[in-house]
Amino acid sequence: MQLNINGEIFEVADGDGLRPLLWVLRDELGLTGTKYGCGAGICGSCTVHLDGVAARSCQTPLAQAAQAAIRTIEGLAQVQPDGSVRLHAVQQAFTEEQVPQCSWCMSGQMMTCAAFVEQNPAASEAQLLDAMQNNYCRCGCYARIRKGVLRAAQLAAQPAGTA
Amino acid sequence: MSAAPRKWKFSRRKLLIGLGVTGGALAVGLPLSLPFARLKIAGMLDSASAPAGTMPKDPFVWFEVTPQNRVRLYLPKAEMGQGVHTALAQIAAEELRPAWEQLEVLNASTARGFDMGTMSVGGSVVVSSLYSPLRAAGAALRLMLQEEGARQLGVASAAVTVAGGVVAVAADAAQALTFGQIVSAKQGAWVASKQEPQLREPAQFEFIGKPMPRVDFAAKITGAAPYGFDMRLPDMAYGAVARAPRIGAKLLSAAPGTARSQPGVVAVVATAEFAGVAAETRAQALAALDALQLQWSEGDVVEQADMEALVTVQPGTGTVLQSAGSVAAPLAAANTLRAEYRTPFAAHAQLEPQAALAHVRPDKVQVWCSTQSPGSLRAAVAKAVGRAAAEVEVTATYLGGSFGRKLNVDVALDAARLSAAALRPVHVSYTRAEEFQHGFFRPPTHHVLQGALDGAGRIVAMSHQQASGNVFPALVGRLLGADFGAYRGGLLRYNIPNRRVTSQPVALPVPTGFWRGLGLLANVFAVESFMDELALAAGMDALQFRLQHLPEGKLGERFKAVLLAAAERAGWGRALPAGHAHGLACSLDAGTVVAQVAEVSVQGARVQVQRFTSAVDCGVLVNPDIAAAQTEGSIMMGISSTLLEEITFSGGQAQATNFDRYPLLRLADAPLVETVFVQGDDVPHGMGEPPLGPVAAAVANAVFACTGQRLRSLPLKLA
Repeated sequence: MQLNINGEIFEVADGDGLRPLLWVLRDELGLTGTKYGCGAGICGSCTVHLDGVAARSCQTPLAQAAQAAIRTIEGLAQVQPDGSVRLHAVQQAFTEEQVPQCSWCMSGQMMTCAAFVEQNPAASEAQLLDAMQNNYCRCGCYARIRKGVLRAAQLAAQPAGTA
Repeated sequence: MSAAPRKWKFSRRKLLIGLGVTGGALAVGLPLSLPFARLKIAGMLDSASAPAGTMPKDPFVWFEVTPQNRVRLYLPKAEMGQGVHTALAQIAAEELRPAWEQLEVLNASTARGFDMGTMSVGGSVVVSSLYSPLRAAGAALRLMLQEEGARQLGVASAAVTVAGGVVAVAADAAQALTFGQIVSAKQGAWVASKQEPQLREPAQFEFIGKPMPRVDFAAKITGAAPYGFDMRLPDMAYGAVARAPRIGAKLLSAAPGTARSQPGVVAVVATAEFAGVAAETRAQALAALDALQLQWSEGDVVEQADMEALVTVQPGTGTVLQSAGSVAAPLAAANTLRAEYRTPFAAHAQLEPQAALAHVRPDKVQVWCSTQSPGSLRAAVAKAVGRAAAEVEVTATYLGGSFGRKLNVDVALDAARLSAAALRPVHVSYTRAEEFQHGFFRPPTHHVLQGALDGAGRIVAMSHQQASGNVFPALVGRLLGADFGAYRGGLLRYNIPNRRVTSQPVALPVPTGFWRGLGLLANVFAVESFMDELALAAGMDALQFRLQHLPEGKLGERFKAVLLAAAERAGWGRALPAGHAHGLACSLDAGTVVAQVAEVSVQGARVQVQRFTSAVDCGVLVNPDIAAAQTEGSIMMGISSTLLEEITFSGGQAQATNFDRYPLLRLADAPLVETVFVQGDDVPHGMGEPPLGPVAAAVANAVFACTGQRLRSLPLKLA
């Protein structure tokens, strides 16, 4: 079976098509940036994008993921033609606001935010915060997640190169 | 309890210098407390990997300056989100004077000679205990580079300046060498300078006190940072371990059954102490557990009501922790108040469950683990697989949260046992259900508070009797007379002529232990809620009442400063929107004094914390932004515990198996936060836990002000 992840094609064993995408990414492909937190779709640590929409990879069967373009935290920043790395607006914003602490949940936080900001460039503050409501952070970075998300929306709205 | 920074004096004889002349790095380490230590020479260090040869014993830090002009700081303290790598790097850089960009901070493994106690992190004492030694170590290394740099430049040591990782001739800045150039060109052995290193005055500080960005974020923001759960080796297998069906149940017998023939299984261990399986995939390992033949003892059929009955203050028992004057007579008089408080079992619920990778080989044993305590883990792994501790190397990875949970990481022993059987690297990680069912918990507590007021509204007597499940192992409590963890935050700091505090340890069938702040949140909840009850009885404002009872001397001044700062910033006493109210509380922990004001609103039975204001005196602020982040995190965790969190038991098991039964605070329920720092001391104090202290009391006091309901049990539930 082939998976399209971050614009690259990966080959994985066919096997059980119901096995969760999370463990295929982490254990079979070594993409460990996507984190396990609860395995029940509650905490949001495992969030990835399927065709640009935020999805809980612990609840996504492999066979379903194979139908979509998958994006993980490893593919959020873009490698420029000159080899330099351009952080995504949300990564830039989370760095500027010094959002993370332990950062285990942050892949999921940033993927949730990135999908929402890309799909809803004109979202209100309330809508942005509502989109983040189902991602747990045990370190309690919520005050900074709020700032980071609002800053990410601001950065994403600026034309490329002016951020 | 306040932990005073260790008395520590620099001596050049303590320096541990690594010889690294040909293509090697200059490596310098310093032990924390070996006044009799003689200069030791480490073997030549390979700057890129664990060193060969004999490492010096017990350094607390390793600096390496490489010919590539990198300054590597190997720290024995694990980064679990608290920003300790950044804060320690700032302290070290202050005296070494590199460019911030050339610093690399690395997790050290036990192979770098760090000893067991040095490698433990917890109790909010890391920064305060290393503040002076780390500065001295940085200064000593800078002097060596300065003297050698001056020699290479052909001038006297006094004629050069050191800044930004460059040694330059003071009169001609064009004549300059980078640290890397100096190390590259060095001939012969490095020796420590004969001069006493001079430390900068606070007014000169370049890094300490500045909001330097976190050194671990570049890797964390892209998903590249390695945690224990993420560790991988070629040919690695996945382990799963049979867990007791009830608390306290022990294996009576174990046999492999048909486990060996299950798909993907590579090894089965079935002994009287341990039964587990290693397989090619995680799912195969978990599935094969069912094929083991196991018999368990009955264990303890723990029920919730039994736990509460056990954790109940028995009058006349308990160790006396504080006693001034006599409380008996005044508390028997007329104008007295009595109230009981309770707090429940709580889970750590850190988002990265326990995880470790072990590779047991004939020549050595390697372990990578999310652990707060790699030093003690090393001994435990050695014992588990019957090897000498010297053959075991433990590397602490980044921790995906811990809050005390990863002080005890049996998962590494599981991985080592399975790797020894599989003859392959084995990774073991807990599922969320294992994390809830087979970890340990913050113990429940019960508090009886009594107070007596005089006619002028002054407290003449106060007593705090508390009972708590064990935080430290029962043995520690017996040796010390009381469990320091259980009564942390429970002493009465106010100026009250007659005071008495007792602590009664309770051995529970449920495993209990360290949780952020240990007993701090529970004890301050009880004491500071009761202070509000007394203020009400005295007919006084909660702030004025506290100010009237401050202890004398510096501590009283520090409390006064934070109380006034928090009140002022929160607008204490001003009118709030209908349905909103303020609550105030304060505490002393790890040398840090904190006052907090919660603004809550109540709609029906729902409590929402709208704003939360803190004033914190942690002495010297090494990094104000990280200190603010620690305060914010403590507030959120504290509110989560105050409003939501409770572990209950039924039939010998915790009832929660996932977050559906143990929800955590979420974004929409998080208050707006504001933190003011007040500097009342000239050394740094703890920041990882102290701001958690007053949170529950501040919220409960605000709920009372809002509703007239005095809620005396966590989590707070309105009638």
